[in-house]
Amino acid sequence: MKVLGKGKKRMALVLVVGLLAGLLAACGTKETKENGAVNTTSQNNSNTDDQNKEADNSDESNTPAEGEEGNNTSENDTDTEGSVDLVEGSFTIGIGQFAEHGSLDNCREGFLEGLRQEGFVEGKNLTVLYDNAQADGGMASQINDNYIAQTVNLICAIATPMAQSAYSVARKQNIPVIYTAVTDPVLAELAGEDRVPVGEVTGTSDKLPVEKQLEMIRQVLPDAKKIGILYCTSEVNSESAIAEYKEAAEKYGFEIVTGSVSTVADVPLATDQLLPQVDCLNNLTDNTVVSALKVILDKADAAGKPVFGSEIEQVKNGCLATVGLDYIDLGIQTGKMAAAVLKGEKKASEISFEIIEEAAFYGNTAVADKLNITLPEELTKTAAEMFSEIAE
Amino acid sequence: MLELQHIHKYYNPGTVNEMCLFEDFNLRVEDGQFVSVVGSNGSGKTSMLNLICGSIPLDSGKIVMNGQDINGMPEHKRNRKIGRVYQNPAMGTCPNMTILENMSLADNKGKPFSLGFGTNRKRIEYYREELAKLRLGLEDKLSVKVGSLSGGQRQAMALLMSTMTPIEFLILDEHTAALDPKTAERIMELTGQVVEEKRLTTIMVTHNLRYAVEYGDRLLMMHQGETVLDQAGEEKQRVSVEELLTKFNEISIECGN
Amino acid sequence: MMTIVLGVLEEGLVYAIMALGVYITYKILDFPDLSVDGTFPLGAAVTVRLMLAGFHPVFCMLAAVAAGMLAGMVTGLIHVKFKVRDLLSGIIVMTALYSLNLRIAGRANVPIFSQETIFENSLWERIIPAGLAPYLTAMILLVLVLLVKVLLDVYLKTKSGYLLRAVGDNEVLVTSLAKDKGAVKILGLALANGFAALSGSVYCQMNGFFEISTGTGTIVIGLANVIIGINLFRRLTFVKATMAVVIGSIVYKACVSLAIALGMGASDLKLITAVLFLIILVVSSLGKTGRPGKTGMTGKSGANGEKRRGGKAGKEGAPHA
Repeated sequence: MKVLGKGKKRMALVLVVGLLAGLLAACGTKETKENGAVNTTSQNNSNTDDQNKEADNSDESNTPAEGEEGNNTSENDTDTEGSVDLVEGSFTIGIGQFAEHGSLDNCREGFLEGLRQEGFVEGKNLTVLYDNAQADGGMASQINDNYIAQTVNLICAIATPMAQSAYSVARKQNIPVIYTAVTDPVLAELAGEDRVPVGEVTGTSDKLPVEKQLEMIRQVLPDAKKIGILYCTSEVNSESAIAEYKEAAEKYGFEIVTGSVSTVADVPLATDQLLPQVDCLNNLTDNTVVSALKVILDKADAAGKPVFGSEIEQVKNGCLATVGLDYIDLGIQTGKMAAAVLKGEKKASEISFEIIEEAAFYGNTAVADKLNITLPEELTKTAAEMFSEIAE
Repeated sequence: MLELQHIHKYYNPGTVNEMCLFEDFNLRVEDGQFVSVVGSNGSGKTSMLNLICGSIPLDSGKIVMNGQDINGMPEHKRNRKIGRVYQNPAMGTCPNMTILENMSLADNKGKPFSLGFGTNRKRIEYYREELAKLRLGLEDKLSVKVGSLSGGQRQAMALLMSTMTPIEFLILDEHTAALDPKTAERIMELTGQVVEEKRLTTIMVTHNLRYAVEYGDRLLMMHQGETVLDQAGEEKQRVSVEELLTKFNEISIECGN
Repeated sequence: MMTIVLGVLEEGLVYAIMALGVYITYKILDFPDLSVDGTFPLGAAVTVRLMLAGFHPVFCMLAAVAAGMLAGMVTGLIHVKFKVRDLLSGIIVMTALYSLNLRIAGRANVPIFSQETIFENSLWERIIPAGLAPYLTAMILLVLVLLVKVLLDVYLKTKSGYLLRAVGDNEVLVTSLAKDKGAVKILGLALANGFAALSGSVYCQMNGFFEISTGTGTIVIGLANVIIGINLFRRLTFVKATMAVVIGSIVYKACVSLAIALGMGASDLKLITAVLFLIILVVSSLGKTGRPGKTGMTGKSGANGEKRRGGKAGKEGAPHA
């Protein structure tokens, strides 16, 4: 017994030492941490890495890109595969993403691409720390604390709570925050009514093009009267989107019927309840509802009613169509804003937040065939992309 | 004065396991009386104590304490006038609190548990004296947690704590049964002293016939919810352990075991 | 380096207030109270609501405490009066509070960046020199936490505090002392949830916004803080349990911070926390065999800890963008 007891004491001691060592390590040895972080991120973004290599081979000159007009949206696709001039110096940024989510992942990808186009290439002159808070608010602030501790040059925050948390921490140190996928930066108190930032914080909004979506639905379904929208009561963006839909619906002769859920588990029941009352369903960017998209699509298919999406991913996965955002484009636009700040051309506080104005049509012909719906030609003609199969 | 009038108590009423414990049970305990209660298992001794203290509800009948019907009064309110020591020494003390803290708790019984300091420094000397009377050396261990004391020490403390504030009734529920013979003896001695000193109306349930004979001025033998022997005063003084044992065997044979 | 220490300190201290509440329920009352998952954001919700209505931040904090205590009392009443099991009464209140918090705050996310808080107000701007400004938050929190800790320490030494400790230790004795054990439990739960709500109130003021998802997993953090703290300082008798909880809270946040810095994702972190829990519980319960008196208590607590984590395991916060 006694011998055993000693062994246990030793175990306890080891544990305590381990914890203390952890504490110490958390305070010191910055370099090792950075290396670790670089490794993890480079795995996540292997495709951008490849592009980096390409860029690297073709052009090694370190001329700083001066006064480029790149911090505006317009030509995103021009030099995606082309070479870029690396900006001189080395930069570290932290990308904090609030939750694991297709469109948020696209934001991140686009953001890095936007930076790349402006001469910030990960692994060359840019170190990227990436963390995902897994929808945990407490986690979000610790992630941002960590970025501050690593003295990053800039924090990129993806989604509203992350942006608020990043700003809350970073403002004390004057580290700029560039956010994306924040639906309403004014409501989130990240910017004033005039779109001017409240501090060193700016970015892009993923506000839905509500009117254009309604117009599109009217074109596809000339006889439809009621549109059903499912949303999660605890997602602040959804509530404001619903309000906007309700306001605009009348103009296009629609009535909005809403169904609310509080967890993913509520979605099947809410869908069953909503479907018989409506002519079609329309999704928001509501994370909770979109997580259960498969269920909604199955039920809607069975009822022979179309489901409209709010962004490309959803159309790819089986929604009929959308006039929506391309989150990669959104990310690229955000990346360019970040680049301007990193280059010192502008301070974040001097850049008003931006909204993607031109939303494009995306349709899925496979879904249309299944539902015996013909997508009007005037829409398909202008489509940014048409999908002919349903992604699994 | 404590009176049990026409007590009816069934266990598991309405089920196949229904068991009648008391049917029109009556008992009257005068002020200052020390009643020893013996009886076989299941005779209703502990149930009687539980009914008096309100730990279990009554089916019908009346329990009158000092002229007041206390039926329906919650357990903790009845305890204002009752001190109770259980068979298990752990029941009467708080193991994770020190001796001093336990004494302070007991000392505050009947007073409001306000935001005043839990331990009154002026009372420490008094606690020490009281503990010294136990002759267990506890007076020097005021800051020791009660959980680390032996069963006998804890039971002695439990007895002391339950009788520290002015109470009228002392309920002893086989309070020596879990102790070794020597400690049991000591606890019984202490019990006798306390009851004598504070003139408490006492009901003591015990399996030790000798204690039942030696202590108290009234003896009750219970069997299947009824009193089969009830002797007080002179009569009680003459009762011997042998007599009790004979009587005990008689009722057991009646039962067929 | 300094910033991460400050960051860890700030985070740890904010949660320490809540952990002191969990200490009351888990260690003193021996009541596995899950309602803190709801009362932590409740404190934040009440705070932002009142703050936007123009009330002084200190008043908001007091109101948050009152709201938390009320919620704690409800948990207690459900348990005591309706005889619902302890875990379940906590779950009921926690679930109800999720909706209530949304109602109180109005939305799932409410920023208060533009409001005066206890951390940012005109008074500090006038009297705090610029050089001290980075440390201001940590200092305010330190003062606040120490104040709360000392108050709790003092309370536990009062008659009422003795009774609270007694009820977790031996309910029968409390009844013997002519006191209603149910009432004492309700009081204890009210206190604990008042602490949790205060913690939530301070947390949202520090971060500048209310977010419904911050409540998810509060109990896990609270338990981690208490268990780490108590077990780290088990052998150092001069460290009071309340102090141990505060330090445990900081240590826990340091571990989380380390894990993030090492590039571990939030998703792995929950598993790491669980393993850390288990190791500490196992080591501490093994280390205690042969020491009578205390074994029963922690054995019990350990089992409760297991139970609670089990209850939490399937619960995932709804993600938002």
